[in-house]
Amino acid sequence: MHVYKLLKDWLEVWALIIPISVLLFKPKQPFVHRPIIIYLFLALVFNTAANIIWKTSYLYELPKWLESNNYIYNLHAVVRFYLFAWFFTLIDRKTYPIVKKLIPLLFTLFLIINFIWAEDFFFFDKLSNRLHAVEAGLLLIYSLMFYWSKLQFEHISITKSEGFWVVTGLAIFVLTSFPIYLYYELSLRENIEIAIDLWQVQKVAFLLFCIFIAKAFYDMDSKQRHAIITNS
Amino acid sequence: MTWIQNSVTQLLQIASSGNTKLQVAITIGLLLLLFGSFLLALVFSQKKRLQYQKDMQVLREAQQNQLIESAVRSEEVERHRIAETLHDEVGAILSSAKLHIQAINPLCLEGRDKELHDRGKQLLDEGIQKVRGISHNLHSSILKEFGLNEAIRHFMNNTIQGTVIKANAELDDSYTTLNAENDISIYRMIQELLNNIIKHANPDQIIVSSKFENNDLLIVIWHNGKGLSHQEFEALRYRKEGLGLKNIQNRVILLKGHIFFSSEPEGYQVKIHIPIKSPET
Repeated sequence: MHVYKLLKDWLEVWALIIPISVLLFKPKQPFVHRPIIIYLFLALVFNTAANIIWKTSYLYELPKWLESNNYIYNLHAVVRFYLFAWFFTLIDRKTYPIVKKLIPLLFTLFLIINFIWAEDFFFFDKLSNRLHAVEAGLLLIYSLMFYWSKLQFEHISITKSEGFWVVTGLAIFVLTSFPIYLYYELSLRENIEIAIDLWQVQKVAFLLFCIFIAKAFYDMDSKQRHAIITNS
Repeated sequence: MTWIQNSVTQLLQIASSGNTKLQVAITIGLLLLLFGSFLLALVFSQKKRLQYQKDMQVLREAQQNQLIESAVRSEEVERHRIAETLHDEVGAILSSAKLHIQAINPLCLEGRDKELHDRGKQLLDEGIQKVRGISHNLHSSILKEFGLNEAIRHFMNNTIQGTVIKANAELDDSYTTLNAENDISIYRMIQELLNNIIKHANPDQIIVSSKFENNDLLIVIWHNGKGLSHQEFEALRYRKEGLGLKNIQNRVILLKGHIFFSSEPEGYQVKIHIPIKSPET
């Protein structure tokens, strides 16, 4: 039971080890995977820090800014959005270029307006479900645009196309997260246990996301790809 | 249908019950179901479209091959017609002229007249030889009678004769003709390539070699002149004046083979790889 709890609590950290360990066997990845690789390492830092704060904040006397990990989750969401926006631009530069440039601008505008007038980025009591919901929604739009462009323009099977597994993993993650963030505040008000249970569902979706990224890394045959990181 | 109605009613009841956990679970479930269905529909529709495109591509290639085949065959028919006309008509006229000249008694001629008579006879002999040579090249009768290797050797001897070029034919005699029509195409390609090499590359040495293994015929033409790289070949075969190279490429397509031009340290080589199949297959 103790091991199960340990695994459950630290899922957001060890899930990231799966794709990172695949990188050890397949180090030569295409340039389009660069934002994902950066994301994985940053996410590992964010999630480890968030978990350490969660596990230690009530045990020790810590400085005020280390009492809550919500701002780390906020930061994680912002970084994830920009890195995946970069990934979607790299993976297909030809289709919807204006929309792809417009979405990060809108997100930046939202960040400025929301965190100047509506919310506090470093609010200690709860994470910004509004930020997370907007981030998930916009990433979902990117994912749907990817599928749509593949349907219209691609001449090879979509499952074999570059980015399919990453985008599908991301789509499952954001689809699961979106309603959780929408109901998060309500569930906190109603019963904190509900919020914890919902968070567990989101963790499972995150695990799936990491497995899909690992699959994308594993499928990469470095000999057939010319735009590899080492050459770029 | 009743169970669908019951399920919808139950879902609506849950939605209005205020049970947040269930509401979220149902929302996530519905969203994932919707996404899964969308993804499946996308994969299947794309698979169907790709299959259609593949079928169309096969059809286009078949049509293109048919066009190439008829062009190559009609070219061959035309060559035969010209060869027969040259041999039967021009050759016959020249032979008849030779007979007429031979009928003139050289003893009756003196000085300049005798000189002109001998020169005329010599020119007629040369003309008859040339017509026969051209006619044989066009007709490919040696190919039909003695096979591809002998035809290549004969063509090399005839073409190189009278030049300073050293030519070797190192041909694999284990090759036997399975499809005479294909052999004509292979022979025409070698003719065209050798003619081009002699005309444009200015070589001292030419080696034509072949290897027949596992129903695959590999022909390598090596020379030490100024040849073509594969990029140059690709560029030239689309030019109007590059008709010979275009014909070579068409014949390669027709034979479902490959041709590759390359630069070697001591010269240039052309590799022609042809799968050999009997006409039934």
